[in-house]
Amino acid sequence: MKSRIAFATLILRECYRFARLSGQTIAPPIVSTLLFILIFGYSLGSRIKQIGGFDYVLFILPGLAAMGVINNAYANSSTSLFMARMDRSIENMVACPLSPLQLVSAFVIGGLMRGLVVGLLTLAVGIPTVGLEVHHWPHTVLVIGLSSVLFSSLGILSALWAEGWDQIATFTTFFITPFIYLGGVFYSIHMLPAFWQKASLFNPIFYLVDATRWAVLGHSDIPYWYSLAFLAGTALSSYGLCVYLFKKGYKLVR
Amino acid sequence: MPTAIQITDLHKRYGATAALQGIALEVPAGQFFGLLGPNGAGKTTLISAIVGLVRPSAGEVRVFGHSVTEEPRAAKRFIGFSPQEINTDRFFNLRRTLEFQGGFHGLPRREAKRLAGELLEQFGLAEKAKLQFYKLSGGMQKRLMVARALMSRPKLLILDEPTAGVDVEQRHELWKYLRDLNKNGTTILLTTHYIDEAEALCERIGIIDHGRIIELGTPKDLIEKYCDSEVEIAVEGEMAPGEFADLPGTSVAGNRVRSQAKRIGVAAEALLARILSKPGRRVADINVKKGDLEEVFLRLTGKTLRESEEAQNGGAAA
Repeated sequence: MKSRIAFATLILRECYRFARLSGQTIAPPIVSTLLFILIFGYSLGSRIKQIGGFDYVLFILPGLAAMGVINNAYANSSTSLFMARMDRSIENMVACPLSPLQLVSAFVIGGLMRGLVVGLLTLAVGIPTVGLEVHHWPHTVLVIGLSSVLFSSLGILSALWAEGWDQIATFTTFFITPFIYLGGVFYSIHMLPAFWQKASLFNPIFYLVDATRWAVLGHSDIPYWYSLAFLAGTALSSYGLCVYLFKKGYKLVR
Repeated sequence: MPTAIQITDLHKRYGATAALQGIALEVPAGQFFGLLGPNGAGKTTLISAIVGLVRPSAGEVRVFGHSVTEEPRAAKRFIGFSPQEINTDRFFNLRRTLEFQGGFHGLPRREAKRLAGELLEQFGLAEKAKLQFYKLSGGMQKRLMVARALMSRPKLLILDEPTAGVDVEQRHELWKYLRDLNKNGTTILLTTHYIDEAEALCERIGIIDHGRIIELGTPKDLIEKYCDSEVEIAVEGEMAPGEFADLPGTSVAGNRVRSQAKRIGVAAEALLARILSKPGRRVADINVKKGDLEEVFLRLTGKTLRESEEAQNGGAAA
């Protein structure tokens, strides 16, 4: 019972953190989506032909949702843990009767909740504005959930590794952002030359975007199950690595 | 009586530096134990090992029978810890900081709210409950740390310099609170640079230096063991040269006779008897200077506690 209360408190703490700052955490990706819809739907969209049988703005919407999920899940756990390391409040948590599994899970669930809220709200924006009809809701939630777990875990890993805020930003600038933009958010990889089609398969974010597109639109560049398996495998292994490092006390216990 | 803290041959190395070198210590349940030592002696490392923030290189720490490394959660359930440096989340206000702390220790939400309210009142923080900690003065931040440590209703309360920067009145209030807590069965481990605090509160003292416990005992025993008390008597009337030479530790300067001894009552009695044995002589004044923990500390470590505090503050500033 005590252990459950402790875990619930940890989760509450993580969710309260992003909910209290919803103007900085939830609103920006929704505003960005509306801007993309405005630009690609009403301005440039008419000049781009359909992709996979979908209007361009509809085609990019799942990718925009995935982009929001990635950025927000990563930002949530990396900021929360790195701040806790900087103000040393992580030492207080380590000194409490909480297990490494509980600590990691709470950080991941915080990112998961923020990822789900941002992802689903982004799609919800598309329903009235561009007539989005979601192909498969349960798979949509599953893919967004796994994506959130993966990037929350990566956020934890970078917050453990980093020694300054610039290093947290480095991971975003040099890994996440380029891979998102090269991961098929704005195009189908079938539109690329053969070499770049193959190269895209080495971009982990491509699988995430493609799986989201299949769940939302029923269209994908590669079979959905390949992407889902890749996503589940990387999410679980990253999560497992975080638990292992917490158990080892990496940068937490001297 | 069960043992609250049992430390066996504890070592901690940071590369080539040995921070702890074979610490062995038992603190019985219910004791008010003081840990004193110069800056860098290993106090904070030892405390960190007890609360699970330092992984020992060798040896073992048990809290109420539970190994901190083998059964960390079982051991930590007994502990409330107020660290030397403020380590609370900047994001949350005081009330929520305390409520979350209660939750981390498994306190149901309603119970945590009630206890947080009580402790905010007790520590004079109720009016600041909606502020974040960094908006408080240094003394208030320290009080918040102690209040947070108490949110777990600990059987073992560990306080690392809890009154540094706290004003005298608040410090005495905290002493009273801690004494009551201790009377009700809470074991307390305290580190402090205030000698009066250690003397006023601690039943037993451990002095640590260079990562070793170099002395253990009650304040009274330590003072008796390491300090000579001194009695100085001003005499009116003639004194013959060498008159007191047969009394050990006694010297004469002008009209003053001074005697140093561990059992100062016996020495003073002998001295007075000798002075008053000659007709026409009388005692004009008597001063007694007793040994204290400061002197014990100085003898054992070569430094005063005040110097240690200054070194620490200087180190922190650097």
